[in-house]
Amino acid sequence: MESPTRSGSMLKRDNLTFGFPVFLLSESIIFVSFFATYALLRWKNSNWFPAGVSGLDIHGAAISTLILVCSSIVIYFAERSLDRHKLVRFRRLWLLTAALGVIFLIRQAIEWHNMPFGLDAGLAGATFYLLTGFHGLHIFTGVVLLLYMYFRSLTPGNYNLGHRGVSSVSLFWHFVDVIWIVLFVLLYVW
Amino acid sequence: MTNISVESTDDPPKLNPMSWKRYFSFSTDHKVIGVQYLVTAFLFFLIGGLFAMIVRAELLTPQLDVVDRSLYNGLFTMHGTVMIFLWIFPANVGLANYLVPLMIGARETAFPVLNAIAFWLIPVIGVLLLFSFFLPSGTAQAGWWSYPPVSIQNPSGHMINGEFIWLLAITISGISSIMGAVNLVTTIFQMRAPGMSFFRMPVYVWTTLSAQLLQLFCLPALTGAAVMLLFDLTFGTDFFSPFKQGDPVIYQHLFWFYSHPAVYVMALPAFGVFSEVIPAFARKPLFGYKTVAVSSLLIAGISMLVWVHHMFASATPNWMRVLFMVTSMLVSVPTGIKVFAWTATVWRGKLHFQTPMLFALGGVAMFLFAGITGVMLASLPFDIHVNNTYFVVGHFHYVVFNTVTMAIYAGIYYWFPKITGRMYSEGWGKLHFWLTFIGANLNFFPMHPIGLQGMVRRISSYDPQYTGWNVVASLGAFLLGMSTLPFIANVVSSWLRGRKASNNPWNATGLEWTTTSPPAIENFEEIPTVTSEPYGYGESHRLAVDPLSHLS
Amino acid sequence: MRTFNIVLLSIWVGVIIFASHTIGQQAYDWLPIAAAAEAEPVGHLFSFLVTLGTIVFLGVMGVLVYSVLFYRARDTSDAPAIRGNLKLEITWTVIPILLVTWIAIYSYNIYQRMNTLGALPLAHLHFVEAPAYAEVGNNNMQRAEQIEVIAKQWSWSFHYPSRNITSTELHLPVNQPVRLMLQSEDVVHGFYVPNFRIKQDIIPNQTIEFKFTPSRIGQYQLHDSQFSGTYFALMEASVYVDAPERYSQWLAETATRPPVPAANPAKSEHIQPPAMPLRSNWHTVPPAQPPLINK
Ligand code: HEM
Ligand SMILES: [Cu+2]
Repeated sequence: MESPTRSGSMLKRDNLTFGFPVFLLSESIIFVSFFATYALLRWKNSNWFPAGVSGLDIHGAAISTLILVCSSIVIYFAERSLDRHKLVRFRRLWLLTAALGVIFLIRQAIEWHNMPFGLDAGLAGATFYLLTGFHGLHIFTGVVLLLYMYFRSLTPGNYNLGHRGVSSVSLFWHFVDVIWIVLFVLLYVW
Repeated sequence: MTNISVESTDDPPKLNPMSWKRYFSFSTDHKVIGVQYLVTAFLFFLIGGLFAMIVRAELLTPQLDVVDRSLYNGLFTMHGTVMIFLWIFPANVGLANYLVPLMIGARETAFPVLNAIAFWLIPVIGVLLLFSFFLPSGTAQAGWWSYPPVSIQNPSGHMINGEFIWLLAITISGISSIMGAVNLVTTIFQMRAPGMSFFRMPVYVWTTLSAQLLQLFCLPALTGAAVMLLFDLTFGTDFFSPFKQGDPVIYQHLFWFYSHPAVYVMALPAFGVFSEVIPAFARKPLFGYKTVAVSSLLIAGISMLVWVHHMFASATPNWMRVLFMVTSMLVSVPTGIKVFAWTATVWRGKLHFQTPMLFALGGVAMFLFAGITGVMLASLPFDIHVNNTYFVVGHFHYVVFNTVTMAIYAGIYYWFPKITGRMYSEGWGKLHFWLTFIGANLNFFPMHPIGLQGMVRRISSYDPQYTGWNVVASLGAFLLGMSTLPFIANVVSSWLRGRKASNNPWNATGLEWTTTSPPAIENFEEIPTVTSEPYGYGESHRLAVDPLSHLS
Repeated sequence: MRTFNIVLLSIWVGVIIFASHTIGQQAYDWLPIAAAAEAEPVGHLFSFLVTLGTIVFLGVMGVLVYSVLFYRARDTSDAPAIRGNLKLEITWTVIPILLVTWIAIYSYNIYQRMNTLGALPLAHLHFVEAPAYAEVGNNNMQRAEQIEVIAKQWSWSFHYPSRNITSTELHLPVNQPVRLMLQSEDVVHGFYVPNFRIKQDIIPNQTIEFKFTPSRIGQYQLHDSQFSGTYFALMEASVYVDAPERYSQWLAETATRPPVPAANPAKSEHIQPPAMPLRSNWHTVPPAQPPLINK
C-alpha cells in the first residue's frame, strides 16, 4: 500500500525509520576517522604509553563490555515486548537497559578518575580520553533518550500509531554498543 | 491514488502565511527555508567577495602595500572559508530545499524542523567567523586547509583565538550540513509522488542526492579532524604535532578525504541546474538522460577515492601517488559524460538565449576548461610542478566560480518566476551575465600562466616578473565585484514590482511548473501522478504547457 | 550534400588537430626555462597535455559555438525529441577512458624517469616500501653531492656536511646529481624551484631525501611552496647552478669565512613593520633565530 498520506504525523515516522539509520551511518564516520587516526598513530609509535604505565585496565573494560552487550540483549527483548503489546514488561526491560547504561557510565567515570595519566600525557592519553569520552557522550545521549522514551510510554495510547521512536532509540543503543566493541578491541586488547 | 486532505498543523499560524515576515521566522516550510538559505548565502557571498577584493588589491603590485601580512593571511583564509561554507554550500542547499520537494511532487520535506534548525545554524557560523576579526589574535590565518602545525601555533596564547573560532565554525557547519543532508536524502527516497520512480526524477534531484550522500559519508571525517585539531590547539594533545608522537600528514588525509568530495558537493548541484536549464531553452529533451543521471552517482563514488591528488607533493609514498593519479583520471569520465550530454542537447535544438541559458552555456564552456586543467593536475609529474601555485587556484576558481556560481545564478534566474511569482528584467539579467562572464575570465584565466611560471599561492608579495597578469586578474576581480550590482538591482526591483509570472513562463517540463507561481503553502492542490520520463520536450504528452510563455 | 558535410567536417578536424599541435608546441614556453634534468620530461608531458586538452576543448566548443550560431529558435515550438543515442553515449564514455589511460601511462613513465625520491621517507611509518623501479643513474649515486636543507620560519639554510659549511644560498654543481636532505624545524614547508619543475613538502621532524640533477648554469629562486605562516612570502632563497670549478671554488672560499648570523627579511620586517593603510596588529609567531652561516 502507498503510505496513506503525503504529509502529517504518520509519514514523519516512516521517515524516521529511514532517516535515522542514515544519520547513524554518517555518525559512524566520525568514529571511523578517530579509529583510523588512532590506529595509524599507534602503529607508528612503539612507545605508546607514558613511562611507568604498561597498559589499560583490560579486565574492567571487559566487564563494561559485557554490561553493554547485555544491555543490547535486554533492549532487544524490551522492543519485542512492545511488539507483543506487553507494555509493563517493556517498561521494565527498557528501564533496565537505561540502568545498565548508567552503570557503564559510572564505571567509565571511575576508570577516568583512577587513570594514571591525563589527556596531555602523550598520544595514549589523548586517544584514550577522546575515544572513550566521545563514546561516553553517546552512551549518555542514549540514556537520556531511553528515559525520554520511558516517560513518553506512560502516555496512554502512545503506541497506537506504532513505535518508531522506540525502534530508533533501540537502534541507537545497538549502534553505540557496536562502536564500543570496536573501541574495546582497538584500545584495550591491542 | 489521490491526495488526502492535509491536517492543519498543530499550532495555528500566528501570521499570514504568505506575508514577507515569514522569511524572518523559524519557518518549517521548505520554500521559505530555501529562500532564507539563498538570501543569507548571497549576503555572505558579498562579504567573501569583499575579502577577495582586498586580497586582489594587495596583489595589484608586487610589494606589500595595502594590508599587513597577518591580515592578508586572515583575509584569504576567511575568503575561502566564507565562500565554501557560507556561500556555495548554503546556496546549493537552499536551491535544493526549494526545488526538490516541488520536483518530486511532495508537499514538504521529510524533517521540516530539523531542516529549519540546519538553516539557522548558518548565520551562527557567519557571526562567529566575522566576530573573530575583532579578537586580539585575529581570525584564523592558516588557509582553509588549516594544516597543522602552522594552524595551531597560536601566537596570542589565548584560548579564544581565531583558529579556535574557525574550528568551532567548521564543526557547526558540519552539523548543519549533516542535518540538511539527512533531510534531503530522506525526502528524495521517501516522499516521491506516485509514479515518480528514480528514473523519472529530474537530473537536478539525482545530483542533489549524490551530493548529499557525499556529505553524509565524507563530511564526518572533517568533523573528526577538526575535533582533534581543536584538542591539539586548546588542550595540548598532540595528535598532529610532529615533534611529539603525532603526525600532521594524518590530518591532511582526513581533511582531503572530505574536502575532495566537497568540491563535488559544490559541483554536482551545478551540473543539475545545467541539466534543467539547457533542455528548457533548447526545447529538446536532455540527451542521454539515464547516463547523465547515473553518472552523478558514479562521480560521487569515484570522488571518494581520489583525495591524495591534493597531497602529491606531500610526504606521500610513490605507490600512493601513482594509485591516486589513476583514480583521479577516472573521475573525469563520468564528468565528461555530462558535458557531452549537454553539448548534444543543444545540438540541433531551438535555442533561446534568456539569462538562465546564457549563464548555463557560459558555465558549461568554462567547466570544460576547468575539467581539462583538472585532468592535467591529476597527471602526477605535472602536478608536482604546479601544486600549490596559482595554476591550481585558477583551476578551482574556474570550477567554483565560473561553473558553480554561474550555475547558481542560472538557477536563480530560471526559478525566479516560480519563487517570487514575478519576472525578472531580461536586460539587466543579460548585462549581469556579460559582466560576470568577462570579469570571471579576466580574473581567473591569468592565474594559469603565472602558476605555470611558478607563482606560489597564498603569498602576500611576489616577484615583479608576475606583475602583468596579476594586474589583469585584479581588474577582473573588481569587475566581478561590480557585476553583482545589476543582479541585486534586478532581483530587488523585480521581486517588488516585476511583471506577474505565469505558472510556467519557460514552457518547461517538470512538476515544479505545474503548480502556481509562487506555489501555495503545501505546493500542490492535488499530488500529481507521474507517468513518464522528465524532459518531454517535443513530445505530445508534455506536462503543463502554458500559452503565456516568456520564451520569445 | 552528405559528402560536402564530410569534407567540411574533415577540414574542421584538420584545423583542430593543427591548432592543437601548434598550441602544444607553444606550451613549452609557458613554463619557466628548464634547469634540471627532471624538468625536461615535465615539459614534454605538459606539451602533450596541452595538445590533447586543446583538441577536446576546441572539439566541444566547436559544437557549442556552432549550435549557438546556427540553432537559434525562430519560434516557440519544440525541437525534435531526440532522447539519446546509445552508440554515441558509449563512444563518449570509452574514448575518454582510453584517453585518460593513455595520459596516466605516459605520466607514469615520466614520473619513473624523474625518480626524485621525494616520497621515500614515509618508510619511517612502515608503509609499503616505495619505488620498485630501477633507479636512473644508480652508478652516479656515490658522486651525488649531499646537502642538508633546513627550513624554519622563515629562512632557508643549506649545510654542506662534506665541508661543514652553512649558507643561505644554495649552490649546486651543474650536471651532477644532488641529494638534498630536507628538514623542517617547525611547520610544514615546501621546497620548490620553478625552473627545476619539482617540489617536495618538508614534514617537520622527518628527513626527506630529494634527488635531482641541475642541468643549466644560472641563478634561480627557491620558494617555500607550503603555506608556513605570517612571513611565508618572504621565505625565499637564491639557487646557483655553477660550473664544477666555480662550485668547488665557492665551497673553498666559503669554508674560510667565520660563521655569523644571516640577514633575514622576515626578522627585519617583524622588528620594523612597514606602515600599511590597513593594519591588524594581530599577534604573530616571531621569526625563528636566523641561521649561522659562513659569510
Ligand atoms: C575533471 C575532473 C577533475 C579533476 C581530475 C580534478 C583534479 C584536481 C587536482 C589533481 C587538484 C589538486 C591540485 C593540487 O593541489 O596540486 C585539484 C584541485 C582542486 N579542484 Fe579539481 N579536478 C576536477 C574537477 C573539479 C571540480 C568539478 C571541482 C568542483 C568544485 C574541483 C575543485 C577543485 C578545488 C576546489 C581544488 C583545490 C582545493 C585547494 O587546493 O584549495 N575540481 N583538482
Ligand atoms: Cu580533488
